[in-house]
Parts: sequence; C-alpha cells; structure tokens
Amino acid sequence: MKFTIYQESRIGRRRNNQDRIAHCYSRDALLTVLADGMGGHLHGEIAAQIAVQYLTEAFQREAKPRLDDPFRFLASGLENAHYAIVGYTDERNLPDAPRTTCVVCVIQDNIAYWAHAGDSRLYLLRGDRVVTRTRDHSRVQMMVDDGVLTEHEALRHPARNRVFSCLGGDVAPQIDFSRRTPLKAGDVILLCTDGFWAPLGNEALARGYATGDVTAATPAMMDCAEASAGESGDNLSVVAVHWQEGYDEDAASGVATETMPLDAHTTQMQGFSKGGGAEPDLTEDDIERAIAEIQNAINKYSK
Amino acid sequence: MPAQQTNQPLPAGFQLDRYRIARQLSLGGFSIVYLAYDEDDQPVAIKEYLPNSLALRGAGQIAPAIAEEHLPAFRHGMKCFFEEGRALAHLNHPNVVRVLNFFRANDTVYMVMQYERGRTLQEHIGKHKGAIREAFVRNVFTRLLNGLREVHAQRLLHLDIKPSNIYLRTDGNPVLLDFGAARQALGNDGPMLKPMYTPGYAAPEQYKAPDQMGPWTDMYSIGASMYACLAGAAPQAADRRLENQALQPAQERWPDKYSMQLLETIDWCMTLDYLERPMSVFELQKALAERHHVAHQPSWLDNLSRHFRQLIRK
Ligand SMILES: Nc1ncnc2c1ncn2[C@@H]1O[C@H](COP(=O)(O)OP(=O)(O)OP(=O)(O)O)[C@@H](O)[C@H]1O
Ligand SMILES: [Mg+2]
Repeated sequence: MKFTIYQESRIGRRRNNQDRIAHCYSRDALLTVLADGMGGHLHGEIAAQIAVQYLTEAFQREAKPRLDDPFRFLASGLENAHYAIVGYTDERNLPDAPRTTCVVCVIQDNIAYWAHAGDSRLYLLRGDRVVTRTRDHSRVQMMVDDGVLTEHEALRHPARNRVFSCLGGDVAPQIDFSRRTPLKAGDVILLCTDGFWAPLGNEALARGYATGDVTAATPAMMDCAEASAGESGDNLSVVAVHWQEGYDEDAASGVATETMPLDAHTTQMQGFSKGGGAEPDLTEDDIERAIAEIQNAINKYSK
Repeated sequence: MPAQQTNQPLPAGFQLDRYRIARQLSLGGFSIVYLAYDEDDQPVAIKEYLPNSLALRGAGQIAPAIAEEHLPAFRHGMKCFFEEGRALAHLNHPNVVRVLNFFRANDTVYMVMQYERGRTLQEHIGKHKGAIREAFVRNVFTRLLNGLREVHAQRLLHLDIKPSNIYLRTDGNPVLLDFGAARQALGNDGPMLKPMYTPGYAAPEQYKAPDQMGPWTDMYSIGASMYACLAGAAPQAADRRLENQALQPAQERWPDKYSMQLLETIDWCMTLDYLERPMSVFELQKALAERHHVAHQPSWLDNLSRHFRQLIRK
C-alpha cells in the first residue's frame, strides 16, 4: 500500500472540540475514522471518543494484516461502538445520552469500503471531481433528494445540523454502506465533519484537492472554511488520504507499508481525552462473543 | 401476554447491514424470513430473531419494542437463536441450508442464509395431494438423510423435521431448513418461549421425555413426513397417539399404491417406542435404498398380476 495521509481537527469558534479523528494501518489495510459528538447532547465528545477508539481497537485486533471481510468489520464495528456508547450511558446513568456521527473507511487491495451514520461525510475525489460522497442522514438531505431544496440552499438551511441517525442514544443507528469501490492512483478519500464541508460546498472542496497534495491542501482549505463560517464556526475536522497505489515510489511524505511486520499497526489519534473508555456490560459481551464465534465457524467450515 | 400480536416486517428497500430487503418470505412465531440482496446483488435469505410473544414491531418501526419484563426471556431466546446459527455454521453439506453470515442490528440478531429457489415439501404435498410417487419419496428422503447424517455426526439433533422445513430446490435436491434444535433449550426457561412442536411430526419423547431424545427422535419426524407425502396431510400427533392410537399404519392404508417395503419403513420410523425405531440414519438409508424387491409404482402389469392372483385364490 502506498498513500499519503493528513489529518487535522480544529476547535473553530466553539468552547470545546467534540470532533474526534483517527487513522490506523497494517501492512495491507488502512482504516480512517472520524466522529462528530453531538453538540446538543452532554458529553458529545465522549461519544465521539468511544466510537473512534472502539473502531481503531477493533481494527488492530482484526487486521492481521488484512480484514477478512471489510463490510462485516464496518458493520460490527459501528454497531459495537453504538452499544459501547449506550453501555457507557447506562453505567453512569447519564440523563441525556451522548451521541455522535461517525464515518469510517477501510482500504484494502486498492478497494475502499465505507459506512456512516449522521452528517459527517466521505468524499471520493478524482481530479477536480466528486466521484461519490455519502448521503447525510438528515432531513435536509432528504429534502435535497426529493428536489425540495438545492444543494446550495441546504448549506444554509436552519435545520441542516439535525441528523436522524447517530451512534449512541436509544434508537439503533441507521448505517449506510458503500459499494466495494476500486480506487485509482491519485484518488483522494476525504472524511470530514460538517464544520468543514458546510462552509465550503462540494465544488470548492473538490477544486481545493485537485492537486492531490493533501498535506498542503487540508490546512489551506480549513482556513477557508473557518473564514467562511465566521463567528458561528463549528468544530472542523478532516482525514484526507491521497491514494498512490505504489506509483510514486519516492514521495518523501508517503507511507510504504510493504516492509511492516504482519502484526504491526501504526495508529494516530487526535483529541484523545481521559475517561473515554466504555465498558459494555457482560451480556453485551456475551452476544458479541457468540456472534464472533458463529462467524468464525462460518469462515472455517465454508472452505 | 397478548397472544395475537403480529410483527410487521422490515419494509422493502430497507438497508439491513450490507443487505437490501426485498420482501418477506415467511412470518413465524419465532422469526421472520426475508429475501434480500447483498452488495453484489446476490439473493440471500435473512432470518430475523423476533419472537412475537416478547418483541413487537409496529407499523413504521424498525427496532422492536421489548417490554422490560420480557428482556431476560428475549435474551434467552436469542441464545437459542445463536444455537441455531452455531449448529448451521458447523455444517457444510449440500442438503443442509448454508448459513453465510450472522450479525446484530435493530436490537436483535440476524442469520443470513443462502437463498434457495424452489418450494417447501409442504407446498409440494399440497399441490400433489395423494399423487406423490414412490420414487419421489425414496429419492427425496434418501438425499435428505445425507444431510441429516451430517447433522447427527456433529452431535446435533434437528428436532423439527417436517415438510415445511424441507425445501425442494428447483433441481429437486432437498435442503434441510430451520434448526429446531436451537429451540430445544427454550422449554426450561419459563412459559414465554415454549418450544412449538409441530403436531404430527414431533416424536412422543419430545412431549414426554426430552431426556430420551436421540437420533431416533429425528427418525420419527422423517417417518411422519414420508407419511404426510402419501396421505397429503399430517399424521395424528404422537401425544394423541399415546392416549388413543388412531393412526392407521401405512401398510394398512396404502397396500395397493406403494411397495410394502416402503410402507414398512415408514411404520418402522413412526413406532411410538423409540427403541423399536431405526437407530441411525444409516440404517434408515439402507432400508430406503433397498430397491430389489420394490415395485416402484404399481404398473398396469403389477395390477394385472395381482388381479390374477386374486382370481386364482377364489
Ligand atoms: N434459505 C432459504 N431460502 C429460501 N427460502 C427460505 C430459506 N429459509 C427459509 N425460507 C422460507 O421461509 C420459511 C420459514 O423458514 P424457517 O422454517 O427457517 O423459519 P420459521 O419456520 O419461520 O421459523 P420459526 O419456526 O423459528 O418461527 C420456509 O418455509 C421457507 O419458505
Ligand atoms: Mg419452519
């Protein structure tokens, strides 16, 4: 695998940063994850923290060095993260359940797989074009899809921050999955919170990354977003991957993973705060164990 | 406990994990089975754990509502659903339905199976009432027993073999569905999730003496399913037979239509005393394969010679 990755999270004009981002890779697989704790809810940043931590830990456990089934990883990872947040809520008797959006992407064999809940987005950019992006779980997105609002109007709509799917809380999240998406050399995979995409819009964002130089483009685009959002600027976070498929052998800042030992992982997290570890209760664990056991048996006996 | 509540299926088009729901295939007391498509547009059958005495999904809901007091029973039933998944996951046989995935969503659990095209033996019997040929019975059950042999080799019992749990693929090859073994444990944990033995197919020891269950218990159900093929309906239930045996033995009921050897085999399987039944699948398979003194289907020639014999006796 050969790629350049850049991640950054900024507080904007808020009093605290409830965004969390991380990436992690083994020799054969790359994980990127981003979560935006819900501002209106207490402990939003804890929910975001649990989600990001849960997914990276699961990746470290399972990518040895490949994930057997990336979609299954995404599905069970997000589901478990949701229950970990719920478990944390119950354990502390929190009156208002912490919640978070989450978008997570796995790249393996030059194929991207992603899933999300909420309005944090993944963009797949090629040249100066948006090849695809996630659809927000928001009423505003539904209005756009129904043709009631334009993309542009949606960016300013008062309800644009209202999401109907998230991790945590007592409604199980709706999680949308991508297709298996083959990548081309030069593609940019961008995970970002609404504090980043909303002030910029899709076109500006795609143009900003047209060079593929994620290390230079990301801070510059974040400056733009902050300037454009002004006084009300939200937290803004980005994880940007420039996929190089081994073509660009001597890019100085690139990461080449071929020489990594099979069980090694490199993890970068940002915005780690204390007290984030959630312990789902025992029965939840039992359920997960049972499912893992069945899945192991399925894999073992299907050969 | 509201007895008559029915659960709403997930809506068509619903994205469940990495599958898209197409439609409901069946609604049982314990689960809903859906036809769905995976991300490569391949059809799968998804079984949703949803015991309707414990969990209710109303119109427009996704996650079922589970009353606080039902939660322990719901969780317990889930364990049993896991047993079904575990049992099937360990089996890889062309005559046993394949489980492909198992996951958690909407506060419950799901088992993804290979989608089989065809119809259940139950439907087949309904369509061909009284006109099922001997060769068909021998064929289907001999092959089905290959699958059951594998089940027993894994030290598992099916315990819910019946025509609606036997699926006939379009190529005629039968598949064993719905592992009732999963629900066996349910009886121990209060009244909420009693095992639902299907009257007519369950062996007497399933009602009276569960500690005496063994491979012979599945033999009874195989015999009863074969009986149903000939009769076009389920035989008298074993618990009723124990009180008042009114089941006409196959040998008395269809001596002119099927070979005596097949009829004997069916009656042998349906013996009330389990010690008298075939003890293993293999023993039963041998009997079904015994074709040397079998008249497949009474032909005009057989009828003619029988007629002659009768004439001579007069
Ligand atoms: N793999 C499959 N492919 C096609 N159809 C299936 C498959 N599995 C189940 N079905 C259909 O769904 C019906 C019910 O399935 P099954 O017997 O497994 O569950 P059930 O009887 O509803 O379960 P329960 O008794 O636990 O409520 C079958 O009779 C069959 O019509
Ligand atoms: Mg059934």
